[in-house]
Amino acid sequence: MRISWNWLSEMADLSSMGGPKGLGELLTRRGLEVESIESQNAGLAHVVTGKILEKGQHPQADRLSLCKVTLGSGEPLEIVCGAQNHKAGDIVVVAQVGAHLPNGLKIAAGKIRGVVSHGMLCSEAELGLKAESEGILILPPKTELGRPIADVLGRNDHILTLKVTANRADCLSHWGIAREVSASLGKKPCRPEPKLTWDSHRADATPRTGLEAGSLGPQFYGCLIEGVKIGPSPEWIIKRLEAVGARSINNVVDATNLVMFELGQPVHAYDASRLEGGALVVREARAGETLPLLDGSSVTLSGTELVISDDVKPVALAGVMGGGNSEVSDQTTRVYLEVAEFDPTTVRKSSSRHQKKSESSHRFERGIDPQGLEFAMRRLASLVLENAGGKVVGMSTARKTLAPTPAISLEAGYCAEFLGMPVEAPEVEKVLSALGCELKPRFGGWEVTPPSFRLDLRIREDLAEEVARCLGFERIPSEVPALTDMPTSQASDSRVNTRSWMDRAKDRLVSLGFNEVVNYSFTSTRWLQELGLVSTVKVMNPLSEEHEWMVPSLVPGLLANVVHNTRHRFGSESQALRLFEIRPTFHTSSQVGAVGEDQTGVDEKWRLSFVVSGPRQAQALRAEEGEVDFYDCKAVFEGLIESMGARGVRLQPLSSSRGGSLLAHLVHPGQAAEIIAGNQGAGVLGLLHPKFARQWKLRAPVFLCEVDFDALVRMARPANEGRRFSSWPEYPGMERDFALVVKSEVSGEKLTAIALKVGKPLAKVAKIFDVYRGSQVAEGMTSIAVRVIFWEDTRSLQESETEEVSRKIVEAWRKEAGAELR
Amino acid sequence: MIEQLKSIAEKALRDLESISTLESLEELRVAVLGKKGSLSEVLKGLGSVPAESRPAIGAAANEWKRKLEAALEARRTELEESRLSVQLEQERIDVTLPSRLAHSGSLHPITQTTRKIIQVFARLGFDVTTGPEIETEFLNFEAVNIPKDHPARDMQDTFFAGPGVVLRTHTSPVQMRSMREKGRWPVRILCPGAVYRCDDDATHSPMFHQIEGLWVDHGVKMSHLKGVLEFFAREIFGSDSKIRLRPSYFPFVEPGAEVDVSCFNCSGRGDDGCRVCRGSGWLEILGAGMVHPRLFEMAGFDKQAAYSGLTGFAFGLGVERIAMLLHRISDLRLMYQGDVRFLSQFRA
Repeated sequence: MRISWNWLSEMADLSSMGGPKGLGELLTRRGLEVESIESQNAGLAHVVTGKILEKGQHPQADRLSLCKVTLGSGEPLEIVCGAQNHKAGDIVVVAQVGAHLPNGLKIAAGKIRGVVSHGMLCSEAELGLKAESEGILILPPKTELGRPIADVLGRNDHILTLKVTANRADCLSHWGIAREVSASLGKKPCRPEPKLTWDSHRADATPRTGLEAGSLGPQFYGCLIEGVKIGPSPEWIIKRLEAVGARSINNVVDATNLVMFELGQPVHAYDASRLEGGALVVREARAGETLPLLDGSSVTLSGTELVISDDVKPVALAGVMGGGNSEVSDQTTRVYLEVAEFDPTTVRKSSSRHQKKSESSHRFERGIDPQGLEFAMRRLASLVLENAGGKVVGMSTARKTLAPTPAISLEAGYCAEFLGMPVEAPEVEKVLSALGCELKPRFGGWEVTPPSFRLDLRIREDLAEEVARCLGFERIPSEVPALTDMPTSQASDSRVNTRSWMDRAKDRLVSLGFNEVVNYSFTSTRWLQELGLVSTVKVMNPLSEEHEWMVPSLVPGLLANVVHNTRHRFGSESQALRLFEIRPTFHTSSQVGAVGEDQTGVDEKWRLSFVVSGPRQAQALRAEEGEVDFYDCKAVFEGLIESMGARGVRLQPLSSSRGGSLLAHLVHPGQAAEIIAGNQGAGVLGLLHPKFARQWKLRAPVFLCEVDFDALVRMARPANEGRRFSSWPEYPGMERDFALVVKSEVSGEKLTAIALKVGKPLAKVAKIFDVYRGSQVAEGMTSIAVRVIFWEDTRSLQESETEEVSRKIVEAWRKEAGAELR
Repeated sequence: MIEQLKSIAEKALRDLESISTLESLEELRVAVLGKKGSLSEVLKGLGSVPAESRPAIGAAANEWKRKLEAALEARRTELEESRLSVQLEQERIDVTLPSRLAHSGSLHPITQTTRKIIQVFARLGFDVTTGPEIETEFLNFEAVNIPKDHPARDMQDTFFAGPGVVLRTHTSPVQMRSMREKGRWPVRILCPGAVYRCDDDATHSPMFHQIEGLWVDHGVKMSHLKGVLEFFAREIFGSDSKIRLRPSYFPFVEPGAEVDVSCFNCSGRGDDGCRVCRGSGWLEILGAGMVHPRLFEMAGFDKQAAYSGLTGFAFGLGVERIAMLLHRISDLRLMYQGDVRFLSQFRA
């Protein structure tokens, strides 16, 4: 909201403020944040009036003139001018050397085509008065010389832009701010006393005002003035409206706007000759009614709005905008003035339903002073009479009995206790009285009745805020509160637990060289389709198509990151990418009817996802370098599982999966594994399907993994929890290496499992240490080298025992896996 | 015989000089001093020497043997040293060549800042609590004293995911869920998490992160809020940081305040050229206030006998805002692009 310093200074004593800046600081300190202060005379320093004594030709340039200009006293100045509209004897605006004009131009003595110019003659555009102008500004002939132009043009106001919070409806006017400023000084604000007196018993206006919407429209003042002459407003009104950013229209409409910006009460003027019938009422709209509005649009009413209606038609969308069917025009001679109160919520609903926000709806939504209507009407009618002439021929007052403002009980020591601030009762009394509260002493405190305009003061906490605000928050000391119970046991809280697992997983991934990303939870239809994914949670009012769906998986975001980063790759090396994210994904709940006070019908499943691509190491010589492959990706996953101590999490070839994974189609079917946690599919890990890599022109293979993080947490176990020390074998073991040839589809895991099963209890470890496929073995076969390590905890093994077990193992390999020794 | 010994020994000493490898040195030793070496061969004839001459010959032999051994040993040491130095020279590598460097990762600045802030408040006894990012309109608004069709709703432009279902606009519903779930006080919680608002420019993002704190107990005062926030400011922005509370309005608190922290870059002086505070000396960091009693009613606390006099404070801050200040990040949108050039600057 814009507040004019000049306007305000007529209502409050600003002499002790230290100028607009000081006022701004005071208001900000009191909770009315001043966002900016503009001075109308900004850039007009060193700009004064002057008279052209002689106008001559510039010796070097046909289009320039050389003027001798006097500022009334001192030596005349030689000034070069490019305009054509001036002549000797004209009073003009002179920007002297040192001026820094509103349009950014700095004036210095400088040669223009060889002649020194000691200033500049200004146009309106250069003075910031208009966006464009032709020629320089010529002032009236009698203008005094040498005067600052800001004074001559009356551009001496300062405009403060305030961010008024939604609770401070009372401050949406100059009067409101004047009250606030005066309260801070312990003074009374003053406002122009209208000449017109109001007789609420008079009911001689036609139409008469009426209330037909119950408590939604509790007050309606009407005033009929005849014989007005529509014309321009006087200069002072135009200036005030301009200062607050409103456009002058005519003397009647301007009066309504002035009253609103002055007193905070939105009001309206109708062309009385266009009102039909004997009554003008506030009523609820009828569904389907249409109403043309002042802004040229037309709305079809739903029936929930309030309207002002004559006997035939609605003539205003109450509290929001006047009707186009009863607008004051140049021909209007009879005006009907409306000052009314409407229910804030109803005004808000109708303004948002029809997308009509206005200065009026802004104020009604927040609540107006219910006691301020009569004064506003007197001020409005007086202004119309003063500026447009005419005579009041009728008044009409419709008003429900106003409920008294409820009093608040306030104990004398409450504010000091609640704020933790030393403040004595007399000070509390003084602050609240200054704000217009009535304090009735009662035992140990007061009954406080706030003024009618302070709709935000309802409970004692509100009063404590007033005390703190007015005395200054800096008076509150800093203290540290004491714990009155033990902090929650971390182990007992599953959410604390999940969080610490998340931290652990993140730390591990970072130590494995991963960058954490945070992607939006939104994604687009286009991207989901490209990836063959479906989301079930839609944003109803997305900012753009890019943000239409809540993500069903983190992989779309990570793949977008891959594409983004690859595009910004530098040079010929493939980009090393190791990205991860742990965030929720969104899914429509499987539980039917899961919407309630605290149920949204949306399940949030936390996922952990990562992508790996590019060189295995951040830096290495070419001969030692390699691109990451499936086993690197698997190692990352295993490292992660290890860091969480997750038991019962394993990988199985995707080919043997029952197809549970949402993402199975995104990976290479032969280079991917399903993640199994317990007995449940919990995710997928593998090479990005080549068709995507081709489509996005990715040079290096990209591996991706997504796993249900909650499933990992369920399997996780705190490091070393319940761990017992175990000793290592005292007696030497023996190892045997076997070179086997098997069909390629037999998994390595199967061979080691057989060895351990058959070799029990002596075979303790079985591991694959070499794999070969190629010309040395038959087509479709793979050579696998397995090392089995045998030992016994209590004694040395005999060679023969190992031989015996080895034979059994080889036999089992042959029978169960079709493996032959090479 | 002594002459013989002498000539063998002197020859050996002469030969020694031309020996250049440890192998030929060993050959010489064996050839002279070995069991079948020339010296031993000569001494085998000792039996045929008269008994009275034997001691003298023996002594001479021992003398030559000792001399030879010493000379051999000296030469061996010499040769070993030179061989080692050759080896060292051969094994020389270029230590300036690149290492086999593992990738180094990074936590997102949002995570780093969140952790930092949690650590600060954890020291004061706050627990961390989280809740869903998609919320009911009721918990996001009504329950925290923002009624439907109230102008305060304009403060937060809301995404809807269905009728009555919103993308939470702040983490306040977590406070409400937490109070309702616990059903009693004291409550000391910190609620970090992603929140959403319909806004998108260099300083606003449709998704961002908040941390809200709540402390509810008998006897909680506004001075406590100030103390806790001052501690926070000092821990995060430096030990000489100051805070300033300005009255403001948030429907869920009363009184409400905007909290500024003195600029850590110009020490709150408001230097003209200060790029962090733009010359104001203060940084707008938090919103805070005393919990509006309406929230206790919504939490069901008012139904408990000891309710009377229950108070609390709450505060909320934007994680990105603090991360941007601390790291001088110019554009908020960089946070969400997953660009490695950005992320890798924040190595842990």
